[in-house]
Amino acid sequence: MLGPLAAAVILVAAGVLMAIYQEQLYSDQQTKSVREQAQILAASAAAAIVFDDHKAAQEYVDALQVNPELQGAAIYGGAGRLLASFARGTHLPPLLATPQTGFGPGYIDIAVPAGQNGTRAGVVLLRAITEPAERRFARYAGLILLVTMGALVIAVLSFAQAQLSRRAQQLANANARLQEEMEERRKTEEALRQSHKMEAIGQLSGGIAHDFNNLIMIVKGNLRLLQRKLTDRESAAGYITNADEALDRATHLTQRILAFSRRQPLTPERVHLSTLAQGLSELLRHSVGEKVEIIPRLNGTWFTRCDISQMEHVILNLTINARDAMPEGGRLVIETRDVTLAVPPPDVESQNFVPGDYASLAVIDTGTGMTEDVRRRAVDPFFTTKPQGKGTGLGLSMTFGFVRQSGGHLVIESAPGGGTTITVLMPRDREVG
Amino acid sequence: MRARILAALSLILATGARADVSLEYTVKAAYLPKFVPFITWPETAFTSPTAPVTICVVGTDPFGGKLEQAASGLKSGERAIAVRYLPAPDPTVSCQLVFLGPGDMAVAEGTLDAMKGKPVVTVTDSGLKARGVISFLIEANHVRFDIDAATAAQGGVAISSKLLSLAHAVKQRGQP
Repeated sequence: MLGPLAAAVILVAAGVLMAIYQEQLYSDQQTKSVREQAQILAASAAAAIVFDDHKAAQEYVDALQVNPELQGAAIYGGAGRLLASFARGTHLPPLLATPQTGFGPGYIDIAVPAGQNGTRAGVVLLRAITEPAERRFARYAGLILLVTMGALVIAVLSFAQAQLSRRAQQLANANARLQEEMEERRKTEEALRQSHKMEAIGQLSGGIAHDFNNLIMIVKGNLRLLQRKLTDRESAAGYITNADEALDRATHLTQRILAFSRRQPLTPERVHLSTLAQGLSELLRHSVGEKVEIIPRLNGTWFTRCDISQMEHVILNLTINARDAMPEGGRLVIETRDVTLAVPPPDVESQNFVPGDYASLAVIDTGTGMTEDVRRRAVDPFFTTKPQGKGTGLGLSMTFGFVRQSGGHLVIESAPGGGTTITVLMPRDREVG
Repeated sequence: MRARILAALSLILATGARADVSLEYTVKAAYLPKFVPFITWPETAFTSPTAPVTICVVGTDPFGGKLEQAASGLKSGERAIAVRYLPAPDPTVSCQLVFLGPGDMAVAEGTLDAMKGKPVVTVTDSGLKARGVISFLIEANHVRFDIDAATAAQGGVAISSKLLSLAHAVKQRGQP
């Protein structure tokens, strides 16, 4: 608002200055013009003045009556005697011997010498009307009004412009907010769909696994009975043992499915993740082989509650996955930390997240990494990147199911060629055991 | 020809019908030096660049000292104005303005003939029949003058239009 006002003030000031300058110029111009007329009269009437010819002088003077700017004109001869004159509502001096410039109310007197060839014969006087100040001001009032209005228009336009841009900014902000909310909503929907899918698959597979388990029990029982009946048949014993082993594997598989579908009966205990990982170190070293170096960074001190054997299973599972991601060998870091989270970590829906203290266990490899697409589907049941028959596609989904069932979170960070970090976040257990 | 209309002098010679001779010649004496600033002579008319403009009165002097009075202190440009009295035309005296008074007609005509083509302005009195470049006349008790610019031009003399505008009658250059 200040800018346009200043501009308006400057405009008005410039206008006034211009008017004053114009006025000065006009005044100078007028004086000059009257002086020239006087000189022309003095030159042309020179002979009339020299020869004291009243009649001729009067004719010269009368010729000037057509000029409305002149109030009067007079020719003075030898000794300053008035030779000829005309006056309109004014009194001209009866005697004038010396040429001079004078001012009166509303008029200016310009007197110039008259003569011929160097001889002074007399004086010519012209009295010109000068405009009164108020009339001159009135002449510029229109201009001033125009300039002021122009300045006002500028001010109003600038104000409107400022309003408009503010409104546009608000609109842009609102739009950005809307976009953000839409993105948020899209993510939430995605997560919801995912969790529904998981839920459905979990229920389905859980139900199947349950029934399957019962069927296995029946088959197992019947195998026992058959075994008792066939004690004499040495060859049959081998078949029964094979069938038993297959059934054990099937039991194991159903256990895993049940773990994923969170229908597995868990026995949570107060546990220290660092101690747990430390206890597993020998087993892990054997599992990864010579080419992979295991670096433990067990800095976590907080306790948590979970099913110990399942958690061991999770650590083993993650380690084996990491090993498989590094066929040429590499470094594998097992890290435990105490973290306090105020906001949900990536890919964790806020409605499932409780801010607070978490015991974190991360398995970090320097392997091939995952594309974003693979990373997103990593916990889907039966999704695997391993060759047919090598992986079940249940490892991570089971881990995910277990962690969620225990009230924790699973965070997968990876980039192709940049290694993978899988973090298990378990809520801190403050209960003093 | 507008000069003819403008030619009116204001000095009243007498309030009555009778002209006062002495007043008439006082006016004529005042006029003679006043003509000078309106007349331009060629440089050859003067003996030197600072030589005065000389008014010569040939024959009888009708002014009785009034002419010297009128001429004293007057200047035309850088030149002063001098007055000389000649009993008869004298070619050895440098005159720029010659006044032929109310004297012998023969002398006057002889002088006019002699001055033709020379850079001299001849002024003839109102009583004379012969007419010089400038010739006085009396009209309605006013002293007025005619101007023969054509004859003046023959002698290389130029007369200002300002003066022509005051004359009673003007014979312009190129007119017969």
